[in-house]
Amino acid sequence: MPNGRVVVIGGGPAGIAAARTAAEFGVDVVIVERLAYLGGRPIEENYASLTPYLRSAEEAIGEMVSPLLAMSNVSVRYESKVISCTGEKGDFSIVIEHRGEQESLSAASIVVATGFSHFDPGRETQMYGYYEFDDVIALQDLEAMLKSGQVVRPSNGEAPKRVCFVQCVGSRDRQIGNEYCSKVCCGVASKEAIEVRLAVPGVEVFIFYIDMRMYGYWESQIYWPAQEKHHVQYVKGIITEVLPKDGRLLVRGEDTTMGRPMEVPMDLVVLSVGMEPSEGTRAMAGVLGIAQNKYGFIEAVNPPLDTVSTSRPGIFAVGSALGPADLEDCVSTGGFAGAKAASISLAGVGV
Amino acid sequence: MPIGGRKQAPIVHELEEASVTSTLSGRAWDVSGQWNRMLESRVLTDYSYEGLGKVAALEGGESLEYCYGCGKCVPVCPVDLVSEYGPRKLHRKVQTGMDLFTSDDLWKCTTCANCLRVCPKEVNMIEIMPAVREAAVLAGSVPEELQVVFEKTFRYGNALGENPRRRHGWTKEAGVEVRVLSSDPSPVDVLFYVEDYWSYHPRGQQAARSFVRILDRAGVDFAILGAEEKTIGDSQRLAGEKGLFEALMEDVVTTLAKYEFARIVTPDPHGFNALVKEYPKRGHVFEVQHYTQLLAQVIDRIPLSREINKVVTFHDPCYLGRHNGEYDAPRTLLNAIPGLNFVEMGRCRENAYCCGGGGGGMWLDGFNSNHLSERLSERRVREAVDTGAEVLAVCCPYEVSRFEDAAKSTGNDHLEVMDIAELLELAMAPVGEEVVA
Repeated sequence: MPNGRVVVIGGGPAGIAAARTAAEFGVDVVIVERLAYLGGRPIEENYASLTPYLRSAEEAIGEMVSPLLAMSNVSVRYESKVISCTGEKGDFSIVIEHRGEQESLSAASIVVATGFSHFDPGRETQMYGYYEFDDVIALQDLEAMLKSGQVVRPSNGEAPKRVCFVQCVGSRDRQIGNEYCSKVCCGVASKEAIEVRLAVPGVEVFIFYIDMRMYGYWESQIYWPAQEKHHVQYVKGIITEVLPKDGRLLVRGEDTTMGRPMEVPMDLVVLSVGMEPSEGTRAMAGVLGIAQNKYGFIEAVNPPLDTVSTSRPGIFAVGSALGPADLEDCVSTGGFAGAKAASISLAGVGV
Repeated sequence: MPIGGRKQAPIVHELEEASVTSTLSGRAWDVSGQWNRMLESRVLTDYSYEGLGKVAALEGGESLEYCYGCGKCVPVCPVDLVSEYGPRKLHRKVQTGMDLFTSDDLWKCTTCANCLRVCPKEVNMIEIMPAVREAAVLAGSVPEELQVVFEKTFRYGNALGENPRRRHGWTKEAGVEVRVLSSDPSPVDVLFYVEDYWSYHPRGQQAARSFVRILDRAGVDFAILGAEEKTIGDSQRLAGEKGLFEALMEDVVTTLAKYEFARIVTPDPHGFNALVKEYPKRGHVFEVQHYTQLLAQVIDRIPLSREINKVVTFHDPCYLGRHNGEYDAPRTLLNAIPGLNFVEMGRCRENAYCCGGGGGGMWLDGFNSNHLSERLSERRVREAVDTGAEVLAVCCPYEVSRFEDAAKSTGNDHLEVMDIAELLELAMAPVGEEVVA
């Protein structure tokens, strides 16, 4: 008889939520984590705070991790990855590799929580010069700066007087191949814009956008305060090129509501990069033999009412392994998959 | 006529005098007129928070920057239909470097409040405009014709610059006794606050006379202040002269304190608005009615027996309707007139078009003629004519003259513009011929 173990691949917010939920049912859980710590992207990429409540990422994620690690039926394999998987629902056999050493694990079910990676702005068809200009950075670069408490122009270490965000970098683009909206960038950019306004006295902050996509409560939680309380300037119209000029950056685009070209000097340009399937997500789809959608994310087979079941029974996908997702989505799908996984263990399915 | 109407072409800047001088020969060329058309860059470069910040720093100016560009305000903005204007556009212009404080755009808004009605972000032009205009007035940047009205109001207590002693001159031909409180200060039910245009404008005086004759027939106890009356000056406030408005308010309440009355009744929705909304902020609380509200209350006591067999439409005054929510009283009166065929215009009640007179617009026709393809009153008259109406009924003292002028200038002389008081009086049975229904 299988031991009914749940294996969670990936220890970010969605994986943690899945592991915690399954463990709370009394099921043994093993988390296989690529890094030497849990927490996923927010920790790995030095996020300063979480959207929309601006809580410290380290603190908030820490509060997820500590109770999980205190549970006696949860263990973590750090710096490990899954290299093969055989069997079926209720009776999987998984091989993981840790610094060249292999370990076999049985599992009744598997939760894939391998997440996303930030779009590489070097692939953008617009001329943003991410790798050319020091002062063109991406959302996560600014997160790290905000976390360090120093928002400066990387080129000279000085505080910027004018900062802009350029939305939809790497998203909603047929040429790039990412036709989807990355869902969180409008909110994250607005959140960072607020933080920049708070961090740098007198700084002017602009957000150039195609559409502001602030679904649900983010509208009044982030967008409206950013505009009304923190005086962030929203401009409808996207930047198509960034040019060096007099030691600053000239952003050029069309101001669509004015119907006129715009050329605006900036000290710091932040590219609101979207989400792509992480390397781990792509790899696990292959190793586990589960279907991906055309963008490489793992496909939920029965949406919209079952968000986590994959093409292989007994294997679930959660969080941003499924596609662009905010933290609420991640922990919601994580918890859902954790419960589904636990139910397989508890029912002894496959015996 | 399409709702969108004719729009004015974008303004082309042609300098009347412009020259370029060769740095080699020193020779100068005239490049005025068409030559310099292309000299203005289309590229926007002046993005800054500065302009919005200046507006937001004013009390009442906070909400301009709340605009998120949905554009719901623009289709309902009466000015945009005859020009290039609208709160959303204004927000963007300020964000891209326009100085609202010195811009001609500052004077286009009639504070009609149709934008605020639809604005999801509650960008409040009714507060923004007076705030910015006040700053502009203090800085001396105000259209001359408006400045003249401010000065007349200051000197004479009325916007027309008429002799204050002749304020109740209209009563002589009223045909009924109109008590003036300074002569007979005994307590009265209705203090009839006549305001400027019913006091002085010939067409307004006719309406005032009709009104008092109706009151007389209805047995309403009323009196006026006569020469002691000064304008309440709400439109001057909205046009930026808050100081003048407040000085007038002190004078008005001092005068009012001398007499005992149950309620104030005024034909002017602008004065009505101030008495209802602005005076209480300073602790001056009165029972106030628009004259249509009073008449609607006593309609059963008005012997309406003569038929008026005409098609009549009605223009909602912005400050009675949208600003203060009264849409029914005027309609109650019109529908009480026997034989009258009442038709609504497409835009009526909450989304009624504006006559252009509010917020100082009454005194900016010359200034605005440079910016508008036609007057708002002209557009409104066309809408009235489109209903097939023979009579355009009004209940704001600004409107009779505005719409009569507009009827002439649009070639619609057949459209009669009449105050509701005048219509009611026409429908009243001659004295002694009342028939009890």
